[in-house]
This record gives sequence, C-alpha cells and structure tokens, in this order.
Amino acid sequence: MSKKNKKPVIAIQSLTCCEGCQVSIFDLGERFLEFLTKVDIGDFRLIESLPDVEEYDIAIIEGTAITKEQKKRLKETRKKSKFLIAIGACACLGGVQELKNYRNKKEIIRGVYPNIRGIDNPDIKSVKEMVKVDLEIPGCPINKEEFFRIINETLDKNQVPKIPQKPVCEECPRKNNNCLLLLGKPCLGPISLAGCGAPCPSNEFFCDGCRGPRENINLDAMKRALKIKCRMEDKEIEMLLERFGKRNEMYKKIKRK
Amino acid sequence: MKIRIDHIAKIEGHASFTADIAKGDMKSARIKIEEGARLFEGIMQNRKDEEIPELGSRICGVCPVVHSLTGFKSIESAYNISVPEPAKTLRKLMMMGQLINSHSLHLFFFSLSDFFGFKSDLELINEYPKKTNDAVKIRDVGNRIVEIIGGRTVHPLTPAIGGMRKKPEKQKLEKLLKDCKNTLPKVIKLSEFFNQLKYPEFTRKTMHASLTSQDEYAIYEGNIKIDNKTFKPEEFITHVKEFQSYDKVAKRTKFNEETYLTGALSRINNNKEKLNKEAKKLLSKSNIETPCHNPFYNILAQAIELIHCFEESIKLLEKAIKEEENIRREPMGRTGKGIGAIEAPRGTLFYECSIEDGITKKVNIITPTAQNMANLEGDLEDFEEMHNFDKLSKKERQDKIKMLIRAYDPCVTCSVH
Repeated sequence: MSKKNKKPVIAIQSLTCCEGCQVSIFDLGERFLEFLTKVDIGDFRLIESLPDVEEYDIAIIEGTAITKEQKKRLKETRKKSKFLIAIGACACLGGVQELKNYRNKKEIIRGVYPNIRGIDNPDIKSVKEMVKVDLEIPGCPINKEEFFRIINETLDKNQVPKIPQKPVCEECPRKNNNCLLLLGKPCLGPISLAGCGAPCPSNEFFCDGCRGPRENINLDAMKRALKIKCRMEDKEIEMLLERFGKRNEMYKKIKRK
Repeated sequence: MKIRIDHIAKIEGHASFTADIAKGDMKSARIKIEEGARLFEGIMQNRKDEEIPELGSRICGVCPVVHSLTGFKSIESAYNISVPEPAKTLRKLMMMGQLINSHSLHLFFFSLSDFFGFKSDLELINEYPKKTNDAVKIRDVGNRIVEIIGGRTVHPLTPAIGGMRKKPEKQKLEKLLKDCKNTLPKVIKLSEFFNQLKYPEFTRKTMHASLTSQDEYAIYEGNIKIDNKTFKPEEFITHVKEFQSYDKVAKRTKFNEETYLTGALSRINNNKEKLNKEAKKLLSKSNIETPCHNPFYNILAQAIELIHCFEESIKLLEKAIKEEENIRREPMGRTGKGIGAIEAPRGTLFYECSIEDGITKKVNIITPTAQNMANLEGDLEDFEEMHNFDKLSKKERQDKIKMLIRAYDPCVTCSVH
C-alpha cells in the first residue's frame, strides 16, 4: 500500500492484557495464514522473533501500557507507524484492569502483594490517552470478522474506515433474541456500540458494554430503565457502567441538547 | 559470562531471561516477567459473586475457559451446590475444547520451530504446509467446541452459578461429534509426528502435581496427587506457599518448601492408566517412561493429551446428545468460603473465594505458571548438566534455554494476574 511492489508491513503488538484479541486474530485460522503471505510481518511475537523494522504501515495494538517500558514502546511504535489501530476493550477503554481507577488503588495493590515496592501501579489509561490512535476496534474480545474486514479495507483503500455508530440493540433482534430489558433483566445494549453481532444476548448473557458507548447516548434514560425495569440500585448500575473501564468514556458521549 | 535473552517470543505474554554463568555454572537463572500488574484479586473484591469468573476469564485469552469454570466451581463450592450432571458434561466438553485449542497452538506454533531451528513460524509453514493445515484444522475443532457450547471462543458466556445458561441444539452437537470423529485420524498422525522428534536429554527430579480421579483422566474434577500422596484441593493448598520473587509482579509457589511441576507431563505421570485408547497407544510407543523427569517431554505429553481430548470429546458429545435439558441449579444462600480446581492446559488452576450475601470479600488465584515458574528456574540452574551443554556455543545455549522455557508452555499473562 505504501510503496510500489512492496508488501505492506504489519505489526501486532501486545501491552498488558489477556492477549485474547491476538488469539482471536489467530482464530481466523486458514484465513489468517493466507493473510500473512500478503503482508510483511514487522512485529508479531506470538509467531516469531525478528529484529525490529523501522516502519510499519499498520500497527495493531492490544492491551494497556502499565509498565514504564510498555509506555516507551507504545510511543516508539506510534512514531514508526502510518496507521495505529487499537483493538479490544483494554486498548480502547482501559479494560477490566481500569476498575482499580474507580477505587483506592493503593489499598487494592496492598491486598494483592505483600511487598509493593517496585511494582508499577499507575492509573490505567486507554491507548488514545497516551498516543494518537487512528481507529479503535473495540470488544472483549474483538469480533474477529469485523477486525479482518477492517484490516483488509485499510490495506485496500489506504485509509481507515469508520465503525457505524449504532447500538447493539440494532443487531440483537436480527438474532431472534427477546429483549432482556423488556423482560426486566439488565442490559446495556441501547448505549453500547454495535459491531459484535450481539453474541451475549444470543447466549442469555446481558450486554455488559465491552465495546464501550456509541456516540450520542442518553445515559439518563439508560439508568432509569435499569432502575425501574430491572430494579437495580444506583450502586449496582454504577458498577455495571464501570466494567471494561468505560465509565469515563460514557460522559463524553452523552447527547447534548 | 552472562546470558541474557530479551523478549522471549512465542510464549503467551512477555518475559525475558538472565543468568550469570560462572565457569559454566548457570547460577541465578531467572525469568523476568515483563507484564504490568492488573490486580485481579483486588478488583474482584466488593463486587458481585458472578464477576469472579466473568472478570477472571479476562486474566488469560489463551485459557479463558478454565478461568471461567474454576471461578464458578469456587463459588459453587462456597454455596455448597453441585451442578446437574448434564451441565457438568457440557463444562467437561468446554474443557476438552480448551485443551485442544491451547495444546495445538503451543505444540505446532510455539514449540515445533525449536526442533528445526526455524526463527519464525513462517519458515515452518513454508516447510510443512500440509501439517500446518492439519494443525489449524485440529485447533479449529477445539475452538468450535468452545464456541458452540460456551457461546464464544474467547471469554465464554454460557457458564453460570449452578450450571449453564443454555444448552446447544442437538443438531449442533451432532455436527461437532461428526467433526471430532473425522478429525481424530489427523490428530493421531500429527501427534505421532511429535513422537518422532528428538528431545534434548535433560532430567531433574521433581514432584509432579495434578488432579486425579478414579473415574477418568482428571481434568474437570478430582483430588490433587503429588509425590504419590493424595490431598483434597483445600488440604493441598495449605501446603502451598506463594512468595514474591525478585521481579515482584509474578508470584512463585512451593509445596512444603520444594518446587514442583504441574501440567501435561505431570498428568501423564500421575494418571496414565486413565488415558483413552489411542492416547495410551502413543504413550506406549513413545520414549516416555513414567515417572518421566525430562521437562522437554511436556511437549510430547501434550501431543498425547491432544489425542485423548478428541477421544474424550467423542464420548462426552455422545453423552450430551442423550442427556436432558436440566442444566442449572439455583443456590439456596449466597454466603460461604470455597475452592475450585481444574486442570488448565498448563496445570492445575486454583480459585479460592470468600463471599458474603452475594458480594465477594476475598479471592485468591493460583495459576499453573505461578506454580511452574520456580521449578523452571530450578531446571535452568541445573541446565549445564544437560548432555554436552558445555560444548555448545553461546548462541546454541540460548536456543536450548529458549526451547526449555517454551517446553514449559508458560503463560506469563496468567502468572501476573
């Protein structure tokens, strides 16, 4: 995509996280192996150890930078990359590890480690809070089909596409699911960004908003529905909105009247 | 001389290795973990009980199924409820899918290149296109088992306190059964290929820990067998001491002050009589003589288990197809203390929890890699005793060290949780 007759260089890098998004990419199986023949791998530690290359056409980042080394590496990668794409709830929202930001993180680390000296315990930040991000593909884990479509489109058009700002509620009925909220069960479908294909409600699990909020949400209406329809207490609602570190994202995306 | 290996590739997570070698002695061999602390045990506190497994599965994207199920088992043990048999069958199936996808990833894509000196899997793929294709197909069956029963391959959705939320339609189970049967010959062939590889000669005596059961090759449930003694999980854990090592973020464990090994090789050492027919056949053809103390054979042990898991999936699917829909039991109360233990791909995973009125008060998670890390470092310190090690160049030594680290199949993200 960049220079003629040259394969695009792709890096897939992982910061602190479960690496489930990288596993999801690998789960593409034969399609992923075929994809590997069309690109040059600049960095993908899961399958090889190669010296660093100088430029990436696309850097795909999962996880959050917690240690100083990771922060440094993320900044270096940004400098080297034409497009930087953040994937997964950790890179896009902060991930489950961000839950400590909403509590006393010093108390939490003392409960886990008897000796906390030398262990980095910063507030968790999403990738876009540290470097410029060209596109976020959210989810815990990512939807590998959406990911694959987007990466191929980026390579073909030499620009990153946009993810349509629709709620999960638009995808859910197409899977013949009953509306959980109408049944009085909690669900964050109305405010959460679609693109996952609603696997959770299809498996009798509520949408816990792992893809984060879409643009222009009505957070008050969501809270009212959880309170009245689902009889949830305020504290429970806040805990649900915290999951995957999305609470701070919510308030940025409320529709202004 | 110092040996230093930065950023070991082809393991799950980030780690490096250092050792000071004085006169060929691998003193102070250390694995340095390079992951940030996510403080899972801390963030689970004061949240809802079911969030233990829901958050816990996010510890590891390679083995999310076992984190989820062990979390649920600990809660069920705290509430003193047993899940209905048909739900247990489904969970056991999910575990088979978990072992198949994790083992095939590690065997083929992480470890195999070491035997041929390939720097990258791309070389391996070019050299063995047919085998790569088989490995991908085998792994895909494991993924589909998890996806169809668990709702999604990474971070499963259907397990719930007291059982399962949903049972897949019969047709889907029948299709899976057919896939497992059709794939089994491929699995046997690929595993036999692993039996033909040349494994480095290195032994160090250690204790082998795993679940054990009278009824089956223990994965989902059982007591702990170590050093030919058997303990209930709650007893075993009282002998296990977690300690922080020099790199702080990943804890290590010892059993009565000694290092021990957990994982495929330990399971085969402890429970080989319970393996299924074809798996047993390959074991008897192999060079593994139990108790086997060569950690490199953990790779072959996984290959043998891969066959076992396909045979077991066939049995379990036949059972699941016949079983009724009763898959969930509600707890009577939501207060108590419990422990759950399941054999993860890399060894026994423990979740201990204490819950009051449905709110988590305390969680302790002991991962297989935390248990294996001290044993691996012990092996590395003794590594110069490996046949002809002193004759190797620095580069060859580094390669052997990396190969041993990968043979353990460490899950670094699990070790720092």
